Amino acid sequence: MSDIVQVQDVWKKFPMRRDRPGFKEFLVNLPKYVSGNSKPSFWAIKGLSLRVKRGECLGIIGKNGAGKSTLLSLILGTIYPTKGNIEVSQRITPLLELGAGFHPDLTGRENILINGVLLGLTRNEVAERMEEIVAFSEIGQFIDMPVRTYSSGMYLRLAFSVAINTDPRLLLIDDILAVGDQTFQKKSKDALLQLIKEGVTTIFVSHNLNAIREICHRAVWLDGGEIKAEEEPEKVVQEYLTRYMA
Amino acid sequence: MNLFDHEFRRRTDLLWLLTKKEVTLKYKRTFLGILWSLLNPILLAIVLFIAFKVFMRIKMENYTFFFLSALFPWNWFSASVTMSTGALVWNVNLIKRIRFPRHFLVLSTVLGQFVNFIFALPIVIGFSYYYGGGPGMNWLITIPILIIIQFIATIGICLVISMVNAYFRDMEYIVGVVITLLFWMTPIVYPLKMVPEAYRFYLAINPLTYLITAWRDLFMSNYIDWGSIGISSGSSLIFVLLGIIVFKRLGKRLDEVL
Repeated sequence: MSDIVQVQDVWKKFPMRRDRPGFKEFLVNLPKYVSGNSKPSFWAIKGLSLRVKRGECLGIIGKNGAGKSTLLSLILGTIYPTKGNIEVSQRITPLLELGAGFHPDLTGRENILINGVLLGLTRNEVAERMEEIVAFSEIGQFIDMPVRTYSSGMYLRLAFSVAINTDPRLLLIDDILAVGDQTFQKKSKDALLQLIKEGVTTIFVSHNLNAIREICHRAVWLDGGEIKAEEEPEKVVQEYLTRYMA
Repeated sequence: MNLFDHEFRRRTDLLWLLTKKEVTLKYKRTFLGILWSLLNPILLAIVLFIAFKVFMRIKMENYTFFFLSALFPWNWFSASVTMSTGALVWNVNLIKRIRFPRHFLVLSTVLGQFVNFIFALPIVIGFSYYYGGGPGMNWLITIPILIIIQFIATIGICLVISMVNAYFRDMEYIVGVVITLLFWMTPIVYPLKMVPEAYRFYLAINPLTYLITAWRDLFMSNYIDWGSIGISSGSSLIFVLLGIIVFKRLGKRLDEVL
């Protein structure tokens, strides 16, 4: 079994600024900027190491602000670690904020095309899957309308349909099992479960502890940017519950 | 298809789509659509023609053509640079949520403006016929060369500006002023020889002077100014190197400032 994701002793620091420094403040602090220190900062991830094997589904739980989303962004590569090393050997399909790449003035189809390519397919490959994606999204006749005319549910459904149909190899999911109405929620959940069963490597961040117990092979409890527990989902969830429910 | 081919294919597709988005979005909700890209320079030419011929009665020969032959390349440059301030900042969502080559946002901005330049070329050709014998063979060789030089130089500058603007949003306003200054410091409205000797130095240190001169020499007199082309290509390489270095360096912490 090979590791798809390797996170080695990663630290991530965010500068804590009240706001953008004004020009006067900038001049006053110039010596500090030049020497490059003494900026107030916040460590979101503190020396975290993690491995995800091929075909594994890893669940991540933790309070708000524990560093879950930061960790996902680090693995995705949209932010860089301050220290440490991250290696990912597969194409990543993020299901973080759905529809991030959508443009309101483009039609459903045009957005599918751009997003499909952004998520790792070529134009031809997206074109081949176009009807499949449109059908899955249940957008119907509105598919050739600008997405600004869509309801928020339609928007999310379309975004989800693109992501799920791009032949994912490594899924990063940030608590999005609730897309659309009841029927679509079930459908999207089933589609995700199907992918995970088929052996698509998955990292799943959720506050839904039952989902973590059901789906994941292994779970990690993050707290304050560090790993508090890493075991079978059942045990981690138990520990987490005793800590916060007691 | 092996992995490398696939990734190459995907990247060209992505750049193509982003550029297309850049061009079509601008006219998305208009009636005439992309036609505006052609209509804009035509109307501009008519307005300038009337202004210079009827109202200002500028004595210089072919002044409208003289002005436009420099204005169109300049517009490609200045519009790209102005738009590039927003290339990263306006696409926070994409940058933070999806992993893709971020410099594509800058490339597509410059390519999008390039399309407008292409649409302006027919007007240049029209003027060339109106005032002389029309385009010569030299155009075929020199236009692609000048396009490549200007593209590379513009990319370099836009890479720097888009990235610096993410850290220091005042950049957007500085660019606005500097572009205007640069417009008057480049021989666009006036010929180089109209500038007193004592001040020519300030134009001579402006790399755009050479590029614009090369365009104008070609369009107006079918002349290939190898000297200017040499200087322009040298400076464009410097700009693009600088751009790549700045973009890579500052890009590492882009997520913290967006």
